[in-house]
Amino acid sequence: MHWSERRWVRVLGGSRGQPLGIALLALVLTIELAPDLFGLGFIRLAAFDAYQRWAPRARHSGPAVIVAIDEESLRLHGQWPWPRTWLAQLVARIAEADPAAIGVDILMPEADRLSPARLPEFVPGMGQDLVQRLSSLPSNDTVLARTLQASRVVLGVAGLEAEVAGTRRSIRRVPFRTVGGDPRPLVRRFDATLHSAEEIDRVVKGHGLLSVDTERGVVRRMPLVATVGDALVPAFGIEMLRVAAGGAVVTVRTGASGVEALEIGDLAVPTEPDGSVRVHFARSDPARFVSAADVLAGKVDRHLLERKLVLIGVTALGLSDYQATPVTDRMPGVEIHAQLLENIFDTDLLSRPRAVVWAEAGLLLAGGLLLILTMPRSSPLASVALYVLMVGAIVTAGALLYLQRGILLDAASPSLALGTLFTAMLVVTLAETERHRQSLRRQVEQQREQAARLAGELEAARRIQMGSLPDPATAFPGDTRLDLYAFLEPAREVGGDLYDFFPLDRDRLCLLIGDVSGKGLPGSLFMAVSKALYKSAALRGVGSVDAVMREADGEISRDNAEGLFVTMLAGILDVRTGLLEYCNAGHEPLYLLPNGDRPLTRLTDGGGPPLCVLDGFPYAASARRLTRGDTICLVTDGVLDAMSPKAEAYGRTRFEALLEKVGRAASAAEIGEAIRLEVSRFADGVEQSDDMAILVLRWKGPSGR
Amino acid sequence: MDLRPKRYVDTVVLSPVGRIDHSTSEDFKITLAPHMTRCAEGQDRVILDFASVEYISSVGLRVLMLASKQAKSQRGSLGIAALQPAVREIFDISRFTMVLDVFPSVREGLARLSPKALAAFDAA
Repeated sequence: MHWSERRWVRVLGGSRGQPLGIALLALVLTIELAPDLFGLGFIRLAAFDAYQRWAPRARHSGPAVIVAIDEESLRLHGQWPWPRTWLAQLVARIAEADPAAIGVDILMPEADRLSPARLPEFVPGMGQDLVQRLSSLPSNDTVLARTLQASRVVLGVAGLEAEVAGTRRSIRRVPFRTVGGDPRPLVRRFDATLHSAEEIDRVVKGHGLLSVDTERGVVRRMPLVATVGDALVPAFGIEMLRVAAGGAVVTVRTGASGVEALEIGDLAVPTEPDGSVRVHFARSDPARFVSAADVLAGKVDRHLLERKLVLIGVTALGLSDYQATPVTDRMPGVEIHAQLLENIFDTDLLSRPRAVVWAEAGLLLAGGLLLILTMPRSSPLASVALYVLMVGAIVTAGALLYLQRGILLDAASPSLALGTLFTAMLVVTLAETERHRQSLRRQVEQQREQAARLAGELEAARRIQMGSLPDPATAFPGDTRLDLYAFLEPAREVGGDLYDFFPLDRDRLCLLIGDVSGKGLPGSLFMAVSKALYKSAALRGVGSVDAVMREADGEISRDNAEGLFVTMLAGILDVRTGLLEYCNAGHEPLYLLPNGDRPLTRLTDGGGPPLCVLDGFPYAASARRLTRGDTICLVTDGVLDAMSPKAEAYGRTRFEALLEKVGRAASAAEIGEAIRLEVSRFADGVEQSDDMAILVLRWKGPSGR
Repeated sequence: MDLRPKRYVDTVVLSPVGRIDHSTSEDFKITLAPHMTRCAEGQDRVILDFASVEYISSVGLRVLMLASKQAKSQRGSLGIAALQPAVREIFDISRFTMVLDVFPSVREGLARLSPKALAAFDAA
């Protein structure tokens, strides 16, 4: 059994695979709506990352500048961490340029061990008075705190999942206002925060959360607001904006579906329901950065920092925190915060409205149904074209939405889901086609077998029919008075034409030619019966040729249920005298080609209708005495009615001309073969439509010379 | 095959067209059958107008033979008229002139079979 005909394949692929297709569509729709249930959410994330890698955000305004403690800074000023007095110097330098706010993306949980009072720990053997003088100096932390206090500075804090030593559950309150409900149950929750040392921490204008969450190791979303304990905490960037705005209140707007937006003054930032935003990343850009070394050296143009949001962060390799983002595998954490600020300023955040989620499911449903409905009726090529077209449309829609509106439509998941469905349907459709082909092949085989059997039977029938015809070479052994030629060719395997010749006694022979009103098998059966009955009537010694004809007519008519008839031309030749008696029952008359210069004669006299036409018709005989060398020629209408390609009948005129041409001296075989050849040449390939028989007899006189 | 039957009182004239051979004779037989059913004593007489018949093979002759036998058994009258020369020759060779009444024209056939029909024919 061919694989496509196995039971399980038939069950699965039944009804052109549509039940399977619908089940599969339901499954992929479920996955589409709840991808993480099946661990397939990465496909969607990969699609969103692909958009950003392909067309990263263009950086329009530069609201944020990063003062980077980079390799150059470390080379000039030595290893990290620097004494906090240097940091204070850096902040002071920046503050001189009057920035909008300064954000310090550096956590300083412990007191600076490089404070003057602690120097004796590193430099043993200092004089007592030096130790005394050192300890009277203000600590580095005090110096930094003083500087920080003087400016609009935001310090970063880190959100922690668990409370450990050195952390606390509270945070200095940031003024929040909530509108439309309590956002706290909705937003990101931390159990504790890690702060800078108390002395520094308490003097600054603001505190912002530095933590970013990763999805599968990549930063894509950032919470703009979170909770620590029961307090709301702003993100680092948000807090910088608030401080820059002069310490305004942050409004959290919540709606039925969750957090909708964060507002600072007249700036509103739309958020996801959990208070986070999808950062639209631009490529890492050196233009965002100035080196801390340059700032300290006073080499940085004031305009570069003036009225900007200045972030201080560590970017030197080996020190800094790098994060993977959709656009690059390594981006300094501080740059991510800068990117967020650019997003907010240019209102260029990405979003994924609920409607888009439904649109994806809708596309999948519509595309899936289209595949299920059309694939069983279309060619594989058309199906492939349809699938490619659908995927092309979905990808185009996704790309346009991203480019024009910053809306994230997941083109990958529906395309892959449709691909799965398409493949399954294709396999099933092909299996069905294959099964169909197999069954056709079997049918053809059966028909061929049947045809072969029938052909075999017909071939056998043909052998029997042809075998029942006498052979001129052996019919009259040793009789030199006769020259005989006979030919019969049915239009199909068997036919209804007949001829016969046999001796009645030593000197008389009987010959006949006939044509049944029918061809093929029915004709051949009637032919065999007619021929046998005629011969038996003749051999019974009924007498003259007309008596035999009447006798045969009666016998053949008796068992003729089908109402067939047969034309018959019979003759009895006395070989001693040349007397030919003949009787024509509706057959083409016999042609006499006399030896010498007498004209060719068509013997139309005597006779009657074909046998079995008129009951008891009194057939009468005619007679003609042949002279030595005379030839008689008997044919059936298959010869005279043979058709040319121009649908012209061969006809009597051409036939008679041929007989004249072949000549009176020709042998029976020469004449017979000439007729055959000419008719076949005349037909010129046109299929023989009627049975054909030729009988030629040349009487060579009583002595046979 | 459309026999285009025309009735003249008690006589129906049927006019087949074209060749009556192996491929058309069965059709000819079937369309002829209902007319032959009514071709009986006291009912219709039938004349086959062969003016448009170009050729008739032995299979076609067989249909005519069977029709003739049916007409005879029903004591009906069946004639055939206006044979083209080629068909006339076939009739001569096969002696079907002895099987059916052959008339030179439809009019002469009507004249022979039914004076009433002839009157209608002439009036038409």
